[in-house]
Amino acid sequence: MEILYAFLIVGGIGLVLGIALALFAKLFYVKEDSRISDVEKMLPNYNCGSCGYPGCHQMAENLVSGKEKNISKCKPGKKDKNFDPIIEYLSNHPDDDGTLHVPTLK
Amino acid sequence: MNILVSFLLAILSYSLINNVVLVRFYGICSFVGVGNKIKSAFFMGLAVSFVIILATLICYPIYYYVLVPAGIGFLDTLTYILVIASLVQVVGLFIKKYSPSLYRSLGIYLPLITTNCAVLGVVSENTASNLDFLSSLANGIGTSLGFLIVITLFAAIRVRLESASTPKAFKGIPIALIVASIMAMAFMGLGGLGN
Repeated sequence: MEILYAFLIVGGIGLVLGIALALFAKLFYVKEDSRISDVEKMLPNYNCGSCGYPGCHQMAENLVSGKEKNISKCKPGKKDKNFDPIIEYLSNHPDDDGTLHVPTLK
Repeated sequence: MNILVSFLLAILSYSLINNVVLVRFYGICSFVGVGNKIKSAFFMGLAVSFVIILATLICYPIYYYVLVPAGIGFLDTLTYILVIASLVQVVGLFIKKYSPSLYRSLGIYLPLITTNCAVLGVVSENTASNLDFLSSLANGIGTSLGFLIVITLFAAIRVRLESASTPKAFKGIPIALIVASIMAMAFMGLGGLGN
């Protein structure tokens, strides 16, 4: 019986907090460049930090904005699986003002 | 009146005499990690304070009115982490929306408030030593005030240290740790304040 209570109560608290968080995420929504999440999906998503950024999201941000030119800083990434699709994607999706930031392999 | 005086004394005691970083050694990670610019240190202190005080306010009723009556008081740590992690997410969303530059300068240390032991330390200390609601609140406010004061002072000293001629082997983190230890000794001098 106690185990059932534990399950229900902690699960219930989790549910309430989860719903509250979802509402807050809606409330404080920040519009981001949709290319960032696309590039992030194509990275390995290990969040290992070996590229020098805290995680894959920040790496994707810098690749999209063109601040990071060298895509092979991502150590766990594979050429045909991660890098080539990203390079192809970014050569087809320019900035709002039309400039392309295509990273290179070194 | 008596309650108010003891409440203020408790805040003073938790912030200065039993300082969270320098005497109880909680929350060193963000203390050393963010304490190199005054502005980011100050806002880090504010973010941690917000999380500590709200976590105290939320966890107290959850423990005494939900967990204990149901006989599952042993699940306290799990529940506290749940509450703290959600609060940190809210703070993160808030800062990302209203100050992207601050969001970038706090970086990875912002989500890491979740694992900042100062937060969990305060909350579980409150229930472990059976403090009543007012003392818990005093502990929360005092601890966060202490964290805010110390991390800002520490950042101010480190900004000065950047231009000082430190021996090469001590540049950066080592001299910062020495500064922290000297600050800890200075804060021990406040130990007599309670008498």
